[in-house]
Amino acid sequence: MSRRIAIVEDEPAIRGNYADVLRKQGYEVAAYGNRADALAAFRTRLPDLAVVDIGLGDDIDGGFALCRELRALSATVPIIFLSARDSDFDIVAGLRLGADDYLTKDVSLPHLVARIAALFRRADLLAAPQASEEILERGPLSLDLKRLTAHWAGNRVDLTLTEFWMVHALARFPGHVKDRDSLMRDAKIVVDDSTITSHIKRIRKKFLALDRKFDCIETVYGMGYRWNPAEG
Amino acid sequence: MIRPRIALGIRAQLLLVLTVFLAIPWLGYEYVRELERFLRDAQERTLAGTAQAVATALHDRSGLFDVLETPLETLPSERASDDVAARPNTAVDTLASPEIAQILHGLSRTTARIWVVDREQHVLARAGSLKRPEPGSAGGAADTSRVGAWLDREVLQPLYAKVLQQPTEDFSDERAGRTVAAGKDLEGALAGILTIDRRPSADGKAIIVSAAHPIWVGDEVKGAVIVEETTNAVLAERNRAFARLFNIVLAALLVGSVALTLYASWLSSRIRRLRDEAEAAIDARGRVRRPLTGSNAGDEIGDLSRSFGSALARLTEYASYQEAMASRLSHELRTPIAVVRSSVDNLALQQLPADARIYIERAQQGLSRLANIITRITEATRLEEGLAEAEGERFDLARVIAGCVDGYRAAYPAQVFELQVPSGEVPYFGAPELIAQMLDKLCANAVEFATPGTPIVVALKREETGFRLSVGNEGPTLPPTMQGRLFDSMVSVREKRGDGEPHLGLGLYIVRLIAEFHGGRATAANRADVQGVTVSVVLPLVRAVR
Repeated sequence: MSRRIAIVEDEPAIRGNYADVLRKQGYEVAAYGNRADALAAFRTRLPDLAVVDIGLGDDIDGGFALCRELRALSATVPIIFLSARDSDFDIVAGLRLGADDYLTKDVSLPHLVARIAALFRRADLLAAPQASEEILERGPLSLDLKRLTAHWAGNRVDLTLTEFWMVHALARFPGHVKDRDSLMRDAKIVVDDSTITSHIKRIRKKFLALDRKFDCIETVYGMGYRWNPAEG
Repeated sequence: MIRPRIALGIRAQLLLVLTVFLAIPWLGYEYVRELERFLRDAQERTLAGTAQAVATALHDRSGLFDVLETPLETLPSERASDDVAARPNTAVDTLASPEIAQILHGLSRTTARIWVVDREQHVLARAGSLKRPEPGSAGGAADTSRVGAWLDREVLQPLYAKVLQQPTEDFSDERAGRTVAAGKDLEGALAGILTIDRRPSADGKAIIVSAAHPIWVGDEVKGAVIVEETTNAVLAERNRAFARLFNIVLAALLVGSVALTLYASWLSSRIRRLRDEAEAAIDARGRVRRPLTGSNAGDEIGDLSRSFGSALARLTEYASYQEAMASRLSHELRTPIAVVRSSVDNLALQQLPADARIYIERAQQGLSRLANIITRITEATRLEEGLAEAEGERFDLARVIAGCVDGYRAAYPAQVFELQVPSGEVPYFGAPELIAQMLDKLCANAVEFATPGTPIVVALKREETGFRLSVGNEGPTLPPTMQGRLFDSMVSVREKRGDGEPHLGLGLYIVRLIAEFHGGRATAANRADVQGVTVSVVLPLVRAVR
């Protein structure tokens, strides 16, 4: 059975393009132009994944409201925000509402497709019992490359896909400096430098919430970031 | 910015206008002079009347003039130095004719002196005196307040005494002791004509007015009556009138100028307050700091403050419109770009002939350049948003700078970087990633302008109140007109170059934002040692509270 992806986007050209490329990937696509249509359809049948724009026509924050309503219907459906808005405020607000990822419309279609595939994989593996293991261990950090989940000293770190790929890129070669470009490449995003900075800040905060002495991601000014092995 | 060019404030101007009212005392003076003329005429008429009356009493009494008396030297003479107050005015000197003296006695209750003279100009009788007793000082103006009295006595009266001729009883009265009268008036009277004369006393201290009337006996002039008086009474009256008038005018002027000064002070303080508010409302960069609280006053100044307020409000609207413009523009552009990008991406996924691929590649290159421009446009706006939430931390300034310069050496292999930082740790409280971002902009700028083969000098120096971070390069100098505006948004000194990199003039603007976030200041100057430019950022140790 093919997976069903809902695209909620007010711009018909973009909606059509996204729908086309996803259909070509073998997904079943349902596209909606406004919040009311999308919500009515969700109530009838939940999609397997939703790509939601924040601004829906005159409904400036319609995507946020839709995300909240969809989360209320299902706690597990992966939701991706895909918006022209790239301020930190919008990103934080979107992720707080329970979205799994936040992309700006600069993202290329192959990147979007890769991301959707990764989210499906994660959702599948989270549901499935422990099967094959592909784990990256760095001291207290363990990254499950199949499930795309991170643990710190046994505790789950709730990272978005972007964040997971960034942590993975850094931790793969501890001590090596990763510049911003390669971080973007690894995380399959196209953003400016300050957005990378805020991503790193958010990642640090999530680890710090679990371990107040977390100090593994070092900023190497002028170069990029580096994973320092935890002491002890 | 306070312009010290106000040469004449409103107060001074109003006081200047007030000088117009100084014409009032002059008008008063003219009026009083007119009054004096009138009084003099009246005096002359009175004297003439008196002379006529005396003469009428003596007409046709030939017996009075028939007797000829001679012993003149036995008669008492009146001298100027006599104590006139002690001598009653009514005294009649009987010189030659007791009968005439008797008649004069009845008429002598005046302030005038009356002579009766025969044809040979011998004085037959004389009554009264030219000198009046000095008026007592107690008879002065009844000033109730002591200050007023003092002012009147010590300041005004001496002033009036200088301006006006003061009547004095201390004059020489050369006719007083004469037994033979002479003068134009007498000559006229003996010729049969009523003659009025006005002459100064011998020492010029007083004016004496006299009227001479002939005494007829039949058709013959037998003698003459001379009535004379000083103008002192008139002068005194004139002076009193003038002093009164002047006092009133002075008081009115004083009250008026005080009132006007207060009024002008009030007006100018309102205007000054408005000016200060207007100046405080806009900062040096032309941004509206806070709205103007329009005054409720219904007059023109209140009107002005309200229109200032609404102009500022419109300016604020415009400024925020302009600020939002960049982010709105980029937001609006993103959607069509996404349309193009997703279409091109879709196309790329199709089976295409090899020569079609190159166009897709070019389209994608163009798109990424476009996206780059949009990112740059929003960078400053995003930074401004980010600064509001940025937090400071303690970090090693030297290490951050050294790290950044290492990065630039890797990023620009052809460029030589000279690093001058103090040895050891340089602790600083601020946002290291912002400092790094600032240095990125400074160095990107320097690399672009540097003459190939010359080094870029990145220096950190300790100063009294903080640090000075400077990035210098050799190359073209700054055009003088741009000095003050370099750090403004969307200002660029670059010439157009077709290298594909967008020049939006936001780099140094970002430098300024970050410098100001740290309580510092960014400046650019031409280098003194070689041809080139140094951009410096002062980072104070004590960070301004934000």
